[in-house]
Amino acid sequence: MPMNKGPKDRSAKCAVRRSVHLAALVSALATTGVVVLAQSEPVDPRVEGLTFLGEPVLASQVMAGQQLYADNCASCHGASLEGQPDWRRRLDTGRMPAPPHDDSGHTWHHSDRMLFQITKGGVGAVVPGYESDMPAFGEDLTDAEIAAILVYIKSTWPERQREFQAEVSANDTGG
Amino acid sequence: MKSIEIEFRPDRRKVLTAALSIGVASMLPGFALAASDGDPAALAFDGDTILLARGGLFVSDNGGRTWTAAETPGKVLSLATHRDRPGLVVAGLAEGGVSISEDGGASWRIFEARLPDGEITAVAIASRNPDMIYASLRGDGLWKSEDAGATWSLAMDRPWLDDAERDPLALASVELETGMGGIWIYAGTEVGLTRVPDCFCRWQDVQPGNAMDALVAGEAPPSEAPLPGGEPILSLASAPSAPEVMYAALPSGLWASQDGGVIWQKRASKAATAVAVHPRDETYIAALLGGILKISRDGGATWIETGEQ
Repeated sequence: MPMNKGPKDRSAKCAVRRSVHLAALVSALATTGVVVLAQSEPVDPRVEGLTFLGEPVLASQVMAGQQLYADNCASCHGASLEGQPDWRRRLDTGRMPAPPHDDSGHTWHHSDRMLFQITKGGVGAVVPGYESDMPAFGEDLTDAEIAAILVYIKSTWPERQREFQAEVSANDTGG
Repeated sequence: MKSIEIEFRPDRRKVLTAALSIGVASMLPGFALAASDGDPAALAFDGDTILLARGGLFVSDNGGRTWTAAETPGKVLSLATHRDRPGLVVAGLAEGGVSISEDGGASWRIFEARLPDGEITAVAIASRNPDMIYASLRGDGLWKSEDAGATWSLAMDRPWLDDAERDPLALASVELETGMGGIWIYAGTEVGLTRVPDCFCRWQDVQPGNAMDALVAGEAPPSEAPLPGGEPILSLASAPSAPEVMYAALPSGLWASQDGGVIWQKRASKAATAVAVHPRDETYIAALLGGILKISRDGGATWIETGEQ
């Protein structure tokens, strides 16, 4: 007469089965990982033709920057970097509206260093006494986050604007 | 040879104004150039030729000894020329619009239809590109044309100084690097001097070149000697042969700077209403001082009067 298999015994068998399955899964993942590594596809590729402060830019930076831009900048500079309407006309306060960051604006005339300083310290950091509605983001964003936002903006520019701005950055020896 | 080509919908008053100006050209030895200080006036060098706009347009090919009256399509408030394009003269008109001559003022084209109505208080031609023209429209802003006046677009609102927008009364394209891949446009207003990079990011005070470095380092700012405050700057000139050499005409006199407008020194005490500098000699200047046209060949240290007054 076969012994009745009680709940304890079934539980032990299930535990063994789970362990076997887990081991198989780990093994499979490890094998897949080895294969992926063996194929040597870069996980975070460099963005061709784009640098920031002389360093190469990674795709992950651009992706992070896109989200950070949406969270911190888009409300004024536009979801598509288009700036505020009629941005060349002064507001009643005497201050200028937020300009576009796409190729219709003037952002691509500024060096990496200047863009970083303006974002971190406000416009007053580069033009003493200048009054602007744009806050300094140095308290709220890390340097890496500011850099990510700027590389995202740069990644949207056409080739001519990228090349122009790269030359401006290369010639910027100040600071 | 004398012609005015008006490239806008005919307006009877303006056409009559232009027509009445035609045919008045004549040699005027002893031409009385003196007038009240309040008259708007403009000066420019076209090569060695001096152009004076005051009441009408007058041209001198001999350093101001004799003058020829030339027709204009309207009352000229501002003039600009370019060292690399002899004969090119841009005139801002009191009636509105910008008129362009390519033969030293003998004939004119008007591109009024492409600019909004309003007095053109100042004009300038980009130092590095004679097809790029800037015009200040009273009560409106700074406009630019990238195709020698054929089309225009708003470049920038007016500068904000002393809690108000101010009309540029004088413009100068100054071939000094901004660090942004371009050069500066200086503007004289009723309350002082300002400038904007030619990417048009923002109007800003004239600063020494190393002012930002000092700001970042927390050091004392470099010394400055600005133009006297509270006075209108009626005319500005930057020497094409040495862009850091600038001249400014103010009621307090004729002022000169050797460093792009950071430190200014007075070179004449009579009220100055217009100034121009020779394209190849930064020490050769013409200025209206006390309502009289005077010439200096030494950067304003000494002056000689021209013609009979």
